[in-house]
Amino acid sequence: MTIATFPPEPKPPAGWSRYFGFSTDAKVIGIQYIVTAFFFFLIGGLLAMVIRGELITPASDLVDRSVYNGIYTMHGTIMLFLFIFPVLNGLNNLLIPTMIGAPDMAFPRLNTAAFWLVPVFGTLLIASFFVPGGSASAGWWSYPPVSLQNPLGHLINGQFLWILAVALSGVSSIMGAVNFVTTILRMRAPGLGFFRMPVFCWTALAAQSLQLIGLPALTGGAVMLLMDLSFGTSFYRPEGGGDPVLYQHFFWFYSHPAVYVIILPVFGIFSEVFPVYSRKPLFGYVYVAVASFIIVGLGLIVWVHHMFPSGVAQWMRDLFMATTMLIAVPTGVKVFAWLGTLWGGKLRLTTPMLFCIGGLVNFVFAGITGVMLATVPVDIHVSNTYFVVGHFHYVIYGAAVMGVFAAIYHWFPKFTGRMPYEGLGKLHCLLTFVGANLNFLPMHPLGLMGMPRRVSSYDPEFAFWNVIASLGAFLLGVSIIPFLLNMLSSWIRGPRATHNPWNAIGLEWLLPSPPPEDNFGEDVPVVISRPYGYGSGEPLVEHQAEIEQRLRLQEVAA
Amino acid sequence: MTSSSKAPLNTTAVVGVSLWVGLLVLLSHWMAGQSQRWLPVQASNAAPLVDGLFSFETALGTFVFGAVLSVLVWVLLFNRAEKYDDSDAMPIEGNTRLEVVWTAIPFVLVMAIAAYAMQVNHRLGVLGPMEHIHAHSPIEMQGGYAGDRLPPEQVEVIARQWSWEFRYPGSNVASTELHLPVDQPVTFRLTSDDVLHGFYIPAFRLKQDVIPGRAIDVNLTPTREGRYRLRDSQFSGTWFAANQADVVVQSLDDYHSWLKQAAAMPLQPGLSVAVQEYGERLRRSNPGWATVPPAPPPEVNVPGNPSLPHDG
Amino acid sequence: MSSSLPINTPEVEGHPSGAHANHNLTGFIIFLCSESVIFLAFFSGYAILKTSALDWLPPGVEGLEWRTPLLNTVVLLSSSGTIMVAEHFKAREKLWLFRGFWLLTMAMGSYFLVGQALEWRGLAFGFSSGTFGGTFYLLTGFHGLHVATGVLLMTIMLIKSFIPGNYAGGEQGVQATSLFWHFVDVIWIILFLLIYVWQ
Repeated sequence: MTIATFPPEPKPPAGWSRYFGFSTDAKVIGIQYIVTAFFFFLIGGLLAMVIRGELITPASDLVDRSVYNGIYTMHGTIMLFLFIFPVLNGLNNLLIPTMIGAPDMAFPRLNTAAFWLVPVFGTLLIASFFVPGGSASAGWWSYPPVSLQNPLGHLINGQFLWILAVALSGVSSIMGAVNFVTTILRMRAPGLGFFRMPVFCWTALAAQSLQLIGLPALTGGAVMLLMDLSFGTSFYRPEGGGDPVLYQHFFWFYSHPAVYVIILPVFGIFSEVFPVYSRKPLFGYVYVAVASFIIVGLGLIVWVHHMFPSGVAQWMRDLFMATTMLIAVPTGVKVFAWLGTLWGGKLRLTTPMLFCIGGLVNFVFAGITGVMLATVPVDIHVSNTYFVVGHFHYVIYGAAVMGVFAAIYHWFPKFTGRMPYEGLGKLHCLLTFVGANLNFLPMHPLGLMGMPRRVSSYDPEFAFWNVIASLGAFLLGVSIIPFLLNMLSSWIRGPRATHNPWNAIGLEWLLPSPPPEDNFGEDVPVVISRPYGYGSGEPLVEHQAEIEQRLRLQEVAA
Repeated sequence: MTSSSKAPLNTTAVVGVSLWVGLLVLLSHWMAGQSQRWLPVQASNAAPLVDGLFSFETALGTFVFGAVLSVLVWVLLFNRAEKYDDSDAMPIEGNTRLEVVWTAIPFVLVMAIAAYAMQVNHRLGVLGPMEHIHAHSPIEMQGGYAGDRLPPEQVEVIARQWSWEFRYPGSNVASTELHLPVDQPVTFRLTSDDVLHGFYIPAFRLKQDVIPGRAIDVNLTPTREGRYRLRDSQFSGTWFAANQADVVVQSLDDYHSWLKQAAAMPLQPGLSVAVQEYGERLRRSNPGWATVPPAPPPEVNVPGNPSLPHDG
Repeated sequence: MSSSLPINTPEVEGHPSGAHANHNLTGFIIFLCSESVIFLAFFSGYAILKTSALDWLPPGVEGLEWRTPLLNTVVLLSSSGTIMVAEHFKAREKLWLFRGFWLLTMAMGSYFLVGQALEWRGLAFGFSSGTFGGTFYLLTGFHGLHVATGVLLMTIMLIKSFIPGNYAGGEQGVQATSLFWHFVDVIWIILFLLIYVWQ
């Protein structure tokens, strides 16, 4: 290793235009993913506002019932396939190569193609609002036979475009997953064995493995749905001898693990952020890392818990109840590890730290309602009610989206070279936490009282909690304003960031902010210890002092 | 967690933590009682079993959530870095004994919940035998009932887009309002004419998807007189939300006289909010997006009255 | 997860954003594992629909003729052997023998495809004839698509073999194509057992 030439002089950052072209640089693609995802997040959020506007009164009076069904279907589809998956893939692109010291992803052009599919299928999905008959309106599950009813009889209809978009999203995700897994397996820095790898990389590896195993099942199921819808087969049509419940197996075989695809990287984010701002090593690093793969294994054998009322046999109900409950164990290991990390630490309540703590509280709550949902007798009562909607939104918004926000604030200086504003960030965090709880907590009593999900009107006894939930939703809508303001103004004119503003340990923090195009280039440092060595005083890599000294000198010169 | 990871085990800490745990136990116990108020009235033999399990889970959940929250509040209050303190904390990397403890305890806990839930599940046994049928020609079949039960009343439930029809084969009665005798076992035979529906009566804690091409039997005993709501719980298209019906549980005598009266009444169109709204929609200039037209309302003896107040 | 040892990849460091030849095979194997799940989904769908069906075969259909498909099967499976022979010769740098056996493999693959097409033409049911027709055409069609892809890949590799020195340092494309071909064969064995043997 030739320290004398390291690190390379930072190149002048290329102009804004590179974010609008076919770049093969993972750091550009990562930001493209995240910005695109937030564009669709705004659309999905707008649809959520319409949903909560309709539900603020018992009668169906804001939009027509058919339109309402389309809107809630598109809200779910957009938020999952066009917001949360792309935003996480954006973080993967930014963090995986820099955290493992790779110059880029293993297949840079495949990476470009995978990203550019997102706007393609996004446009396809949004276009379905404008085809005759309106968008898909059978829910984001698209259970047949409802999803096969094509009232106008056109070949190009909302449901058709929906299936195409979901299939393309699957292709994009598989391309991404092959890339991420290969990169992590083959391109780690010298000395960076698996048990020296940051937990974010562990969870990304686990999540992407799930994608590889689960997604093809959904794609297979979707192909059969498309053939039933448009080409006259009857895989799921009962009148032709088909079985509508078969689709549910295909769908949930992927779509339950999909929740772990979302939450595992967020566990990774928690595991990265808590040590930095508690100034302590991650408690039980090895257990936290390995628990990710136990979650993968169990996550693949729990899908029938979505189908307890679908008419599955009693033995299947018992079996899948037990496997579902078991997931609480590795998840608990992680939660306790984070508490152990915080315990006795020297906490710094920065914006990312606050987002992670809020996300952890919401996640524990969601975990408890999750165990309730796993038990068949209770699930029979509350499945397909607002209890499930509440539980799901606690996981996805309360925990996952808050984790994503934490990650954005935490790594913003690294990849933009600018510091975000703390004041706006904390306001954003407060509004998000209060808004999410106000919005999603009332859904639990509603579900327990027996209000089904996906309704456009409801009995008057449900009105009180629905008003609260809608007010919470509007607050959540407002919470995005300080976020956007912060991102825009910080990126344009925020104070310049040093290479390691949070005093964090990790390969990515040994790069200039923003990192040069090929990261460490040919001078990848040799990793000599475990991650999260806070308080131990041990260096992470060989010649760490020299590397940091050079970075500091560069910053002074700039 | 709170006690074991604190380094100096002095008496004050032990007493303090024990007191706090005691407080959490009390809180959990109180929440278990409260949880019954969040649920609808108990109107079937299944309800107390389900509610008991739910209340047990609420107690455990409250305790776990309270404990985690306590730790978080504690560290937020007492483990904050001083201003201008840039130093790191003690580099504690982990503790294998603790890992074993907090793997084993949750494992035992969730398995205990699972065992309890399975036991409840088998006592409920709501799901009867399931038969595949040819569409539009339900096969008559004998259900397998628990031997200690009385021969149950049988009700055929036919779900459509978007109405519920109830047939009483023994009495030759059809209705769009479900009438049941109190304290008598009843078997529902669920079929669907078109898409998936969900047969959901919150007061009974009963939910079962209705699957086209299958006849599904579910058994249950209503235990409380009153008027309840039946809701469609599996999304079934445009008027899914309006696909509701009333369930009237009455004394055996009232039930029999209702059946007798009903049998004497002429057939008339049953309730279907969807049909009524569809008519209004056709007259609108901006009718919304494409929809399947509702099935014509079933011809029944008793349409029922949906405007009567139902028990929450 | 082969080992927890650090994997030092000097060639990566030399090519910051170019192609990483040795990663291609890793990526391809990962992709094949994922691809096999689609087949698994279709197979399990077939099995579930078949076991729960009231009338499995469409009216007028007695069952499938299995003798000609068996011959096709033998040809397809043998082609797994010829492709191995071809690879063997490539490793010994006997390029013309490699091309010969490679071409033979392609011919056997094409024979299978033609046989499949002829069988489809002679059948008394279409893909909309109940779940049997649907799953039959779905499975054989999706597999046929893979066979066609395999033949196409082999054509590309064959053309590439005429680029001077292209295969001198070992060619991952040939290895990947061969792997894909074995994959397609294994899938066919399961498919044949499911559709033709289990009647």
